[in-house]
Amino acid sequence: MNSLVSILLLLLPTVVLGMVPRAAPIFAAALGEDVDQSAGTLNLGVEGMMLLGTIIGFVIDFETGDFVLAFIVAGLASALLALFHGIATISLKADQVTSGTAIWFIGWGLSGFIYSSLFGKASSPPVVKTIPTLYIPHLTDIPYIGKFLFGQDPVVYALLITFLAVQYFLFHTKAGLNLRTVGEDPLVAEIMGVNPDLYRYLALIFGGFMAGVGGAYITLSLVGSFYFDMTAGMGFIAVALVYFGKWNPVRVLIGSLVFGAVYVLYLALETYFPATPYQFFSMFPYIATMILIILVGARAHAPAALALPYIKEG
Amino acid sequence: MKGIVKQFPGVLAVDHVDFELYPKEIHALLGENGAGKTTLMNVLYGVYRADEGQILINGKEVKIRNAVDAQSNGIGMVHQHFSLIPVFTVKENLSIGLRTGGFRLNLNQIKSKIEEAERNYGIEIDLDKKVQQLSVGEQQRVEILKLLFRGASTLILDEPTSSLTPQEVANLFKSLRALQSEGKTIIIITHKLYEVLDIADRVTVLRKGKVVFKSMKEGLTSQVLTEAMIGRGVELSNYNREKVSSGNSLVVEGLSVRGDRNDEVVTGASLEVRAGEILGIAGVSGNGQKELVESIFGLRKSKGGRIKINGHDITNLGVKGRIKVGLGYIPEERKTRGAAVSLPLTLNSVMHDHWGQPYLTRGAFNYKAIRKFAGEIISGFKVAAKDENVPARDLSGGNLQKFIVGREMIRNSSFLMSVNPTSGLDVGATEYVRNELVAYRNKGGGVLLVSEDLDELLALSDRIVVMYRGKTSKPVEQKDFDRLKIGAMMLGEGFSH
Repeated sequence: MNSLVSILLLLLPTVVLGMVPRAAPIFAAALGEDVDQSAGTLNLGVEGMMLLGTIIGFVIDFETGDFVLAFIVAGLASALLALFHGIATISLKADQVTSGTAIWFIGWGLSGFIYSSLFGKASSPPVVKTIPTLYIPHLTDIPYIGKFLFGQDPVVYALLITFLAVQYFLFHTKAGLNLRTVGEDPLVAEIMGVNPDLYRYLALIFGGFMAGVGGAYITLSLVGSFYFDMTAGMGFIAVALVYFGKWNPVRVLIGSLVFGAVYVLYLALETYFPATPYQFFSMFPYIATMILIILVGARAHAPAALALPYIKEG
Repeated sequence: MKGIVKQFPGVLAVDHVDFELYPKEIHALLGENGAGKTTLMNVLYGVYRADEGQILINGKEVKIRNAVDAQSNGIGMVHQHFSLIPVFTVKENLSIGLRTGGFRLNLNQIKSKIEEAERNYGIEIDLDKKVQQLSVGEQQRVEILKLLFRGASTLILDEPTSSLTPQEVANLFKSLRALQSEGKTIIIITHKLYEVLDIADRVTVLRKGKVVFKSMKEGLTSQVLTEAMIGRGVELSNYNREKVSSGNSLVVEGLSVRGDRNDEVVTGASLEVRAGEILGIAGVSGNGQKELVESIFGLRKSKGGRIKINGHDITNLGVKGRIKVGLGYIPEERKTRGAAVSLPLTLNSVMHDHWGQPYLTRGAFNYKAIRKFAGEIISGFKVAAKDENVPARDLSGGNLQKFIVGREMIRNSSFLMSVNPTSGLDVGATEYVRNELVAYRNKGGGVLLVSEDLDELLALSDRIVVMYRGKTSKPVEQKDFDRLKIGAMMLGEGFSH
């Protein structure tokens, strides 16, 4: 027991430093899902959209070497997938859970298909250079907090700005209020002159874009290469974190960081206990997520119209 | 409105209706449930589009395709189910869909504007409270304020008094008169005669989608209006009660129950329902009546106290056990709790008895027996249904209620609990259900009747117990029934605080 505690203490700096990049992909997806669900659309296809993002981001970066372009194209590709989900669920009133599940498998299939068609014959797996982290002389060198605050990669900072923008949008703009109204009661929104379908489409497209960015982050920043099914359920964790976050981006951010921390811990523990099959530790982040969700309990108020298609009478 | 027609699948809801509204009047649109009043007004408000007909304002035809069109023509409507978001504050609710003043949501700027509107119309509301914390009357004021804030000059109110206390109704009528003197035009959709006589200047009566009567209020009597509304003179029946007694009873002793928020909403409630009587429970809604009934039926765990039927302690039995002992339940929520609406009437008829003979033989449903039982309910309780195989959702509210009442009565229950059994029913179905409850009592059954309609309780009950903040009063005997006295008890008189 004592040795475990000392290992954990030893790992603390690693965990704190490492949790941000591990949290980033899931936070990107969860932030998008938060906006999505606030408008009343449940997007269970996040996993598929992330998977599409992993391969599209990888391919664009591999071909052009431009990681900014890679992130944007990955986001757009997943946004397109989200648009299909929107057509099915918003315009054609299909069940959101079923459609979302289908989207998951479409993204899963597409990512594998694209990889195999382009690189299937390569003798060794292709790699890209992972995106560089920031280095600001003096600031980054500050002991303890320097690397944490000023040594992340640029995408992390971009995500932070997006997070602040989303927070401001949802709770301090008229459009944000309208969007949340659509999530609570689309009929009320419509009576008040707000177009529910338009808001749901835009929210869904934003959610898809963010899922794609999250997926691309895994290949371009964390790994540098592509392998099948590399999101490993993170899309679903993103959905869960939105529930944990009670539809508030601040809490979603906290949840993502906890997930990131436990993830780093699992990677580290794996090396400390080589005798234990690594699959044992790989369950940790997911178990942690489950505990988080249980802690929130059933008391959270979900958007009242979440996952309900808006069907007008008359 | 001229020659308005609105057809729904299978129903001609509004049939060539002409409706005129004059500036600065209070106009009552009267009719039974299902007469087409709300549909007609929804056409005016743009919620539905008419199949035929036109809408003219000051002689000019206008197209109203949605609520926004209606609002830009100065028309606003308060539906029975409010168009408010319960988890938003009043300010936020009033700000939804605003187009003026830039991108940012400046609630303080809006606040000063709303307060101005509040002053002009004499409506007071705490703008920072969440709508769900407000009483129904206050929520209604938010709705009215919202429409005024958006520049409505014509207000349509759908059954505005249906869930208000008498005091709140008086307040509402006062505000409406104030609005009228400010130059607003008001339409009240209602089925209550006294409201028409009390506040309207003019009345239009609808029956089965057609206009059957139009008049100024002067000289109108409730008799004339009733006949116009129902198409025949009705006598509200005097319920014929016989003396029955068998010594059996449903007894509740010191029952305590926690509510949805885990607070104790029933605190030491005691009552006795004797066989052959109707025990009424009066109370403003939300004083623990719902939880009391759910706990007696076993849907909600009790925290303390005992429940006995004919001396048998049923406190620790599950719902199934209580049903077997002879308890029946007619919940208020017909479509969500009283029946599984997508299932056919056959299966709905055996909801409480499907686990044994004769409806279940060797693990499979015996449809012959089930159909027979469903048929008995349909014919015995005059349920208008094509046959016993139609899904419950195809029945109108009144017919579904008759079906549920019939089910609970025909199966061998000895005590029946009924919550607001006639809410939302038309006059005919209401009378039918009330008569059946009395008939059940006369046959020796005991009824626990919870109702928000005090007149219903006074007409049907043998004794009345008042509930206030989870506590029960001593029963009031029929000879001591007094509207005002029971009303005062409902507001807490005689209860220790």
